[in-house]
Amino acid sequence: MTSVIKTINLSRHFGQGDTLVKALDEVNITIKKGEFTAIIGPSGSGKTTLLQLIGGLDETSAGNVILDDKNISDMSGQELSDFRRDHIGFVFQAYNLIPVLSAKENIEYIMLLQGVSADERHRRVEHIMAQVGLTGLASRRPTQLSGGQQQRVAIARAMVSNPSIILADEPTANLDSRTGMALIDMMKKLNEQEQMTFVFSTHDPKIMESARRIITLEDGRVVDDFVK
Amino acid sequence: MLLLKLAFRNILRNRRRSLLTLLSMSGGYFLLATMISMSEGSYSHMINLFTQDHTGHVQIHYSDYLTRPSLNKTINNVDELVNNISGYPHVKSVTSRVYAPSLAYGKNKTFPAQVIGIDPKREAATTLLELKVKQGQWLSNGMSESGYFPALIGVSLATNLNLGLGDELILISQGIDGSIANDIFIITGIVGTADSYERNNVYLSLGAIKQFLAMHDQAHEVVIALDHQSRAMPFADALKLPQNLNAAPWQKIEESFYKSMQVDKKGNYISLGVIMFLVSIGVLNTVLMGTMERTREFGVLKAIGTRPKMVFMLIIMESFILALASCIVGMLLAFAPIYYLTYIGLVMPEPIDMGGVEFQIMLGEFSAFVLLVPAITVIGSTLLVSLFPALKAAKTVPVSAMQAA
Ligand SMILES: Nc1ncnc2c1ncn2[C@@H]1O[C@H](COP(=O)(O)OP(=O)(O)OP(=O)(O)O)[C@@H](O)[C@H]1O
Ligand SMILES: [Mg+2]
Repeated sequence: MTSVIKTINLSRHFGQGDTLVKALDEVNITIKKGEFTAIIGPSGSGKTTLLQLIGGLDETSAGNVILDDKNISDMSGQELSDFRRDHIGFVFQAYNLIPVLSAKENIEYIMLLQGVSADERHRRVEHIMAQVGLTGLASRRPTQLSGGQQQRVAIARAMVSNPSIILADEPTANLDSRTGMALIDMMKKLNEQEQMTFVFSTHDPKIMESARRIITLEDGRVVDDFVK
Repeated sequence: MLLLKLAFRNILRNRRRSLLTLLSMSGGYFLLATMISMSEGSYSHMINLFTQDHTGHVQIHYSDYLTRPSLNKTINNVDELVNNISGYPHVKSVTSRVYAPSLAYGKNKTFPAQVIGIDPKREAATTLLELKVKQGQWLSNGMSESGYFPALIGVSLATNLNLGLGDELILISQGIDGSIANDIFIITGIVGTADSYERNNVYLSLGAIKQFLAMHDQAHEVVIALDHQSRAMPFADALKLPQNLNAAPWQKIEESFYKSMQVDKKGNYISLGVIMFLVSIGVLNTVLMGTMERTREFGVLKAIGTRPKMVFMLIIMESFILALASCIVGMLLAFAPIYYLTYIGLVMPEPIDMGGVEFQIMLGEFSAFVLLVPAITVIGSTLLVSLFPALKAAKTVPVSAMQAA
C-alpha cells in the first residue's frame, strides 16, 4: 500500500523565549491508504495542531507534509485551496455546516465548487445520504437537525467528493457516547466500503477501541504508535 | 449561482440588520435623488428664465464686440445668416439686434438710453420681450400716419423723461457713417419694470434703426434660441462662421452667473458627498460586523476548499444585492417627491435672486441623470466600503474552523 500522508520532522511552535510552546515537535508519521487511525493524547498534546497541519490549514514551523506525494508547503494559497477541495475531507468537532444551506446543499457544496454536473451531484448526494442514514432530511437546515444528524451531514459532506483523506478532529466530542459510537461505527463501515483513509482525534477510550491504528501524542511528540 | 444563493440567504439570515442597512442606504439614495433633482431642476429653470429673458442660448457677434462694443463692429449680410441658421437642427428661432447708445430727449429732459433695434416678429419668437409690454402694444414695423416710426420705451426711462404713450421721443446718436443721427419716434408701448433689464432701453424696429443710423444689411448681434439649453455649447462650437464673427453660448455671455452656478453646484455636491460618506460609514460598520461575526464560517468555507477569491466575491455580492435593493426602494420613495417637484414645484415664501435672475418657484428635474447618479453613488460607495471587509473575510485563516465552539 502507498502512503497517503507522510510528515517529515513536522514541527509547529507558538510564541517565543519563555513562552515558547512546541505544539508539535519533529513528528514523523506515515499513514497508508485505507487506514483508520486515531490520534489520542491528553489535552494540549497537539492533536488538533497535527490535523491542521496535515490538512494544510496552518503553516508549519519546520518540516514537511507530503500528501498524495505532493509537498503541500510548496503550494500557493489557491493551489492549496483547490488541493483541500479535491483531496481532503474535513469533519470538525463543532460540525461547522454552512448555516444558510440545507443538508443536501451542504453535501453538494464541494461538488458545486468542483463543477460536478447536476445529475452526478444528485446521484451522489442520494447515495451518501442513504449511507449515513439521513434519508428524508435533505431539505432541513442545520439548525433543524440534532447534533448527531449534523455530524452525519458533515461526514457526508467530507466524503461525497471522494477525497483521499478524511481528517476529523474529535468528531464525537459534542455527542453523547451512544451517538458517538454509532457515528464511529458508520465511519468505519464507510472506510471499509470505500477504502477511504480516515484520521481522527479523540479523547474517548471507547472510541479509540474502534481504530485499527492508534497514535499517541504527548507534548507534541509521538510517544506510541500501535497497530492492532 | 451558488454565490448568488449564498449571498441572498446570508442577507435574509440577519433580517433586522439587513433591513436597517437597506433603509439607511435607500435613505441616502432618496436624499441624493431629491437634492440632485432640485438642484438640476432649479438651475435649468433659472437658465430658461434668463435665456428667454433676453440672452438666448447662443449669440453671434463681431469678434471682440462683447468685450469692446462699437457701432462699427457689425455682422454683415445678417439677413442671410439669420435665414441660414433658422434652418439648422435644434434651432427654435433666430433674431438679430442692433445696439446704439444714444441720448433720449423728451419734454425738457435728456437721459442716456440704450437703443436696440429688433425684428418684432423674430424677437417675439426668441425672447419674452413682447410679454413685458406693460402699456400700449408690441412694436410694429411700419411708420405711423404721421410719418414717424414707433418705439417701445423702458419704464424707468419713460418716467425719467416724463413721457407716456403717444408722446414724441427724440433720439440723438451717431450714425454708422459718423454723422449725427437724430429723429423723432412715437411711443407706442412701455416695457419692463423698474428693475428689469429693459428699464432704460428703447426698442425700435430694425427698419427704423437702420434708417436712423444709416445702416444696411447689418446688425451687432444675432440671438439663437435652441430647443434645449444644454445644446448651447456644442451648438456654438459647431457653428461655421466667417472669420471675423464669433459664436458664444450663454455660459460665456453670462459668465458670472454661470460661474456662480457652478460654484453653487459644487457646494451641493460636497454636501451630498458628506451625506454619502455618513451613510457609507454606517454600511461599513454593518458589513464589517457581519463579516467579523462570521469569521469561523469563512474559516470553514476555506477549509473545505473555497477559494479566497470566492469568499471575497461573496461579501461583495451580498453588499451589491443590498445596495441594488436599496436603490430600488429609494427610487420608489423618491418618485413621488421628484414628480411633484418637477411638474408642480415648490413655491418659495420669498423669491430667490440668483445672478440677477429672480425665481419664485423651486422646480425639480425628472431625468435618468437624477435617478442614475444616486444609484451609481450608492452602489459604488457600498462596494468601496465592502472591499476591506471582503478582503478580511477572504484572508480568514482556515484554522479558525477547528477552534471549538
Ligand atoms: N494559536 C495558538 N497559539 C498559541 N498556542 C497554541 C495555539 N494553538 C495551540 N496552541 C498550543 O499548542 C498546544 C497543542 O494544542 P492542540 O490544540 O493541538 O492540543 P490538543 O491535543 O488538540 O488538545 P485538546 O485535546 O484540548 O483539543 C497546546 O499547548 C496549545 O496551548
Ligand atoms: Mg484539540
